Amino acid sequence: MKRIAFIFCGLLLILPLLAQERTVSGVVYDGETEKEPLIGATVSTVGGKGIKGMQTDENGRFRLSVSSEVKSLLVRYLGYLPTTVKLQPGVQNYEIKLMPNNEVFGEVVVTGYQKIDRRKLTASVASLQVSDEVVGAVKSVDQALVGQIAGLSTVSANGAPGAPVKIRIRGTASISGTQEPLWVLDGMPLEGTDIPSMEDLKDIDNIYQTSIAGINPSDIENITVLKDAAATAIYGARAANGVIVITTKKGKEGRPIVNFSSKITLTPTTDIKRLNLLNANEKVDLELALLSSDYKYRANKGAVARILAESGETATYATGGWTALSSATQARIDALRGINTDWNDVLFRSVINQEYNVSLSGGSERASYYSSVGYHNQSGTVKGVENNRFNLTLKGTYSLNKILKVGASVFANQREQESFLADMNGFTNPVYYSRLANPYFQLLNGNAYNYDTNVQGKEDSSLDFNILEERNNTSNRRTDRALMSIFDAELKLNDFLKLTTQMGVQYDQYTLKKYAGHDSYAMRKEKLFATFSFPDGKRSILPDGGMHKVTEYHNKQWTWKAMLEFARRFNQIHDLELMGGTEVRRSETEAIFSAAYGYDNRTLTTQPVLFPSENIAELYPLYKETHQENAFVSWFATGSYTLSYRYTLGGSIRFDGSDVFGVAKKYRYLPLYSVSALWRAAQELFVKRLKWINDLSFRASYGLQGNIDKNTSPYLIGTFDRVTILPGTPEKVIEAENAPNPDLRWEKTKNINLGLNLSVLDNAITFTLDHYYRRSTDLIGMRMLPLETGFSMTTINWASMENRGWEIAIATRNVKTKHFKWTTQLNLGFNTNKVLKETVAENSTYPGREGYPIGAVFAYKTAGLDAQGYPLFVNAEGNAMTATEFFKLNRHGASTLTAEQQRALYSYVGTTDPKCSGGFNNSFEYKNWQLHVNFMFNLGMKVRVVPSYSPTNYDRGLNTNRDILNRRTPANPAGLFPSLMVSTDRPAEYIRYSEYNLYSMLDTWVRDNNYLRLQSLRLAYKFEPSLLSKWGISGLSVSLEGRNLWVTGSDYHNYLDPETMGNPFAQPIPKSVIFGLNMNF
Amino acid sequence: MNTKYIMIVAILVIGLLSGCDDFLDITPTGKVIAKTGEEYRALLTYEYKNFPEDRGLATLRSDEMTLDKASTNAEDYDSFFDIWSWNDDAPSATTVSFGWRRYYHVIYIANYIITHQADITQATAAEISQLVGEAHMMRAYVHFLLVNLYATPYTHCDPGTTRGIPVQLKADINQLPRSSSVEKVYEQVLADIETARAHLNVKLWPKGYNYRFSTVAADALLARVLLHMGRWDAAQAAAEAVLKERSTLENMNLGNSVLPCHYTSVESIVALEQVMTHVYKNIGIPSKEILSLYRSGDMRKNKYYRQVTSSRSELRKGGSNEYSCSFRTAEFYLTAAEAAARLGRFEAAFNHLFPLIDHRYNTTAAAQYKTELRGMNQEQLLVEILAERARELAFEGFRWFDLRRTSQPSLRKTYGENTYQLSPADARYTLRFPSEAVEANPGLELWPLK
Repeated sequence: MKRIAFIFCGLLLILPLLAQERTVSGVVYDGETEKEPLIGATVSTVGGKGIKGMQTDENGRFRLSVSSEVKSLLVRYLGYLPTTVKLQPGVQNYEIKLMPNNEVFGEVVVTGYQKIDRRKLTASVASLQVSDEVVGAVKSVDQALVGQIAGLSTVSANGAPGAPVKIRIRGTASISGTQEPLWVLDGMPLEGTDIPSMEDLKDIDNIYQTSIAGINPSDIENITVLKDAAATAIYGARAANGVIVITTKKGKEGRPIVNFSSKITLTPTTDIKRLNLLNANEKVDLELALLSSDYKYRANKGAVARILAESGETATYATGGWTALSSATQARIDALRGINTDWNDVLFRSVINQEYNVSLSGGSERASYYSSVGYHNQSGTVKGVENNRFNLTLKGTYSLNKILKVGASVFANQREQESFLADMNGFTNPVYYSRLANPYFQLLNGNAYNYDTNVQGKEDSSLDFNILEERNNTSNRRTDRALMSIFDAELKLNDFLKLTTQMGVQYDQYTLKKYAGHDSYAMRKEKLFATFSFPDGKRSILPDGGMHKVTEYHNKQWTWKAMLEFARRFNQIHDLELMGGTEVRRSETEAIFSAAYGYDNRTLTTQPVLFPSENIAELYPLYKETHQENAFVSWFATGSYTLSYRYTLGGSIRFDGSDVFGVAKKYRYLPLYSVSALWRAAQELFVKRLKWINDLSFRASYGLQGNIDKNTSPYLIGTFDRVTILPGTPEKVIEAENAPNPDLRWEKTKNINLGLNLSVLDNAITFTLDHYYRRSTDLIGMRMLPLETGFSMTTINWASMENRGWEIAIATRNVKTKHFKWTTQLNLGFNTNKVLKETVAENSTYPGREGYPIGAVFAYKTAGLDAQGYPLFVNAEGNAMTATEFFKLNRHGASTLTAEQQRALYSYVGTTDPKCSGGFNNSFEYKNWQLHVNFMFNLGMKVRVVPSYSPTNYDRGLNTNRDILNRRTPANPAGLFPSLMVSTDRPAEYIRYSEYNLYSMLDTWVRDNNYLRLQSLRLAYKFEPSLLSKWGISGLSVSLEGRNLWVTGSDYHNYLDPETMGNPFAQPIPKSVIFGLNMNF
Repeated sequence: MNTKYIMIVAILVIGLLSGCDDFLDITPTGKVIAKTGEEYRALLTYEYKNFPEDRGLATLRSDEMTLDKASTNAEDYDSFFDIWSWNDDAPSATTVSFGWRRYYHVIYIANYIITHQADITQATAAEISQLVGEAHMMRAYVHFLLVNLYATPYTHCDPGTTRGIPVQLKADINQLPRSSSVEKVYEQVLADIETARAHLNVKLWPKGYNYRFSTVAADALLARVLLHMGRWDAAQAAAEAVLKERSTLENMNLGNSVLPCHYTSVESIVALEQVMTHVYKNIGIPSKEILSLYRSGDMRKNKYYRQVTSSRSELRKGGSNEYSCSFRTAEFYLTAAEAAARLGRFEAAFNHLFPLIDHRYNTTAAAQYKTELRGMNQEQLLVEILAERARELAFEGFRWFDLRRTSQPSLRKTYGENTYQLSPADARYTLRFPSEAVEANPGLELWPLK
């Protein structure tokens, strides 16, 4: 640079005086290598009439004839800084050096450990700039990733506020281990990012958030997703499922900037019309029809049966029908038809949510700072569900002197979530309840609660339930507080040696309070379950009053890492980068649970529980404490060698050690490594000639990722407990119910990645293609043991599986004029997963997945119904037959086939994982207007849905969808759905349907699941700064965004949303309209 | 300047790295790999605590209990009815199983202690020896229970060629066990008792700890095993050895006597199994068959049962850990009497039987009963001794096993209009292996072994 500046200054002094036509020629070189001629660089004249120009030839040479008015030449080449060369009088030959433009090509990729020049990047990574323009108004970081990155698939299984998004990078690589990617915030791996299984998320009161939910999306600058082993090997065992690196905003050099942003979100109420439920009239007719039929299941349930029982006309109706009933009874039943409780209105609501963020940032040469405060509240469309988040972020970097730079940041947040308690069977879940509650049921009788005695969950008890009472008298509150602080320092020892260190402390804490008042279904149920027999009869041991269960959870971890980096260029063309380092991590988790009974939330008093015996007291622990500590030590190194920015070879290795209890030190480490290469073909002369190619490079990597199961030990490990065997003598015991297994090996995944980057036509089209193959062996799973060993299960290396797939990302600049710009981005991921080996338990009647994907769905093939309305099954030969013939049922409904033969009755129907997933995003800019349209899609999935009704166990006390009206009956011989079965008609089949998990396994209940969602439609307007300056505002933009406004997919009738179709408990993904305001001062 | 920084950093790095080796040595809170004597004891205590209560469940198989619509609730019906009605072929899916895995877990821990006895620290040689002795007793008692639940009685088969149960002598999860012959199982049980005898050094444990095995318990188990093998002479000798140490009986003629199966009773030798847990106790009511066995003047009828109506009585025994009882003195009076009677040793039989009668019947009834007994022949006497055994040890987990080893009579039960029958020497006197065990180890039923 200095040299150019010098020449430049010199040129200014000696101004040309002559004005005549002359010829100039020269060579354009790459300024960094100083030897490399640039082919196709544009050389044009500045000054004079018109512009003359040409492009350099294969030797980088040019020759132009210019008029004397031309004072200088402008030389441009893509990826290099444009340079103006003053023409000197009398000098004909010029040697022009262009410096690479780091803004474009020297772009760095943050991997968490290193910042890698994209030109040396051998790995498969994808970055996402997090801004409202790109991702829209997202509520959390995981939502920002939806449909943005090729090869990263997302499923939002629940639309509840704060519910996590299930993220999979390049399919599933582990079966029993974690399948979640590793999250890294500004270089620090985060703890507590695993999301619970979808089964656990079904209850509304299972309010759960990962530590990701605490990060304010508006603090984020960029998210980088590391996909292949070349990128992740450096993270060791935790990175087997990919890594998501979050980089937060920092202050930029310049005057202080205050940014204020606000979003007001309107979410309209859920519309349960899609559920296609029976109205009061239809429900009463159904109940009447069933009462005159032979279908006897729960014959006393439902309002009609109750009215008949009260008037003593049950038998009269069964024999004589409607006309035999007294007119008073007829009137009472008909009155039901007129009541249509609007469950939508009772359970759901429209909400307006708010979000505010203020940040202050700025900096100078020596220091930069960024601080922000954010508040976000989100009420659920389910009444009674509230959620809010408060964030505080402080960041600063300081250059203490020329060689030492330090930085410190603090991320703090508090989150509160509130809902009411739900039943363990999930039936008091409002979304689920909305499907079951009778349309003729009225919640209130004046001011008094009417109790729903029909909706009773699994057990047929007479506990009173009223959803309004439950909402008023129970609560479930969780308060999360999280603090993350990072301190880093960088010491430049000399021009090529750098030492960096980083210390991060993460502290997460939550308090979960579950309260049920005396007058609540939850409490009544708790009491019923605590009923024991005493000499004077049976009664509950719990005292009168409510209950209060509190869980306090603390998790803290600290990570320290230090790295020595060496980067040096030799002989202008050899780049060598080496890095070695160590990382130490320790985490500690503590949870304390306490339970109080006879609780009064006004006086905060409780009553002691009088346990009749020590053995019963052991069933009701009032206090529990758990504590867990883990430590990890790792060593790692990476190295890369680059020749002329054309060829790069890289490698990395990491040793992870952890505290495996009782295991010798030498077994605690497994080396994970990767090797990779990059060939930037665009730099080759023969490609450089093709002027339309701006970038062409090929990547390849191979690596080993691994995982160990820390729950299985080679030793017999026990846990302490205290028990009483004989009265009055409590003793210490060690419970050792986990089988030791000295043969357990590491789970290993071999990873191959081949990639191509191409950008053409002045970068109008950029194209990235990746193909990967991941082969996981020695996957850890549970195996059934001979029970004579003393244990039933142990963890073994049990399966192997492969994932292969393609990832395509295409970004195009379709139109670009002065005022209008249209860009499109399409990303696609195709993944096929195959289980190569799986040990199937000998007793299993459900098939193993060997040769099928891990998410394989198996079902019984059916061929409609027989004359009596019973399903017909299709056997391997394609013949239709009854269940009795298909399963070879004995008279008790048990199959006389062996387990292996029963496995063979199933057919493979598809997989629950998407074959293709991705996003399609368009952005239009016209003058100050911006329009963004983002779509996401998942294709090629299957989902097993819950059957509309059970042919043997349909409970007439519950509402259901209209499929039941189309059941096969004598009056409806063309009905599509099975008839309601009578136990005496075909007893063996009746038992099979009622007691075995058969009906839901029919192929009828496996649906195609493909969907395309208009995730974000956003219109924004940026005000002209000149209009704002008089108010001291430097920037103002407003936006209107619709999120999830539209979804289309394969048939999802009777369900709210295709994405949550498999889970009747899930709140649907809410539609919302967001007004946004963004101001800079 | 630079050198100074490098030095500081180098010192820091070296300092931190050298601390790393210990850094990974975390002992998880609440978790333990047993090392000390106290910890090995805690391992065994867990097995005592979780010892299966199948002898209580077996009362449903015998004629002791009646299930009826009035006293059996729906949940218990689902769980136990098919056991009670001997519906072994197609039990409903909700039927509970007799234990299997839990027994073998007890054996695993016993084997673990036996294998690792040399590694136990912080314990005296006597403590270790006692612990190892108890482990052998555990192994012997569990194998004995299993072979009596799941294999043909020793006295009704050719033990050498009849399939028994797998004998587990190693703490190793990677084996594929196969069944041994009944003979082999008993041989191992006897060998374990003998080894236990050599290791045990506590004669009897104080109240509160008397669930543990002791030297008297070793004799007691030996007597019970020999009785089940039909080795009368040895059984009599073993029972007499127990009585030498422990002969006092609760006298029901005195107002202050506790139930003999109470853990504080003078008769208690091992107070391990609750037998009639609070669940089993509530399944049904004592059967007419068992109640009709009691003669007039038998104090036990009111001690063991509470009459609710003229036709219904409730059981007083059991229902909590106070009534834990696996071995108690009265059993050995009866064992000695039975063995003697079988050998034609009338006087010895009377000598063992009469003290029990004196403590259980009122004076007049006792005198009358004794006179009747003196007039009986061997066969009649045996019938009476077995009846007395049924009366004394009712609902303590003996009846089913006694029926099995003796005459295997026909049994009848009624529930509503349905009757259920077990024919004489019915195959159902022996339980099938639990299906989950066969599923997990299909080779279990292989017999004879090749």
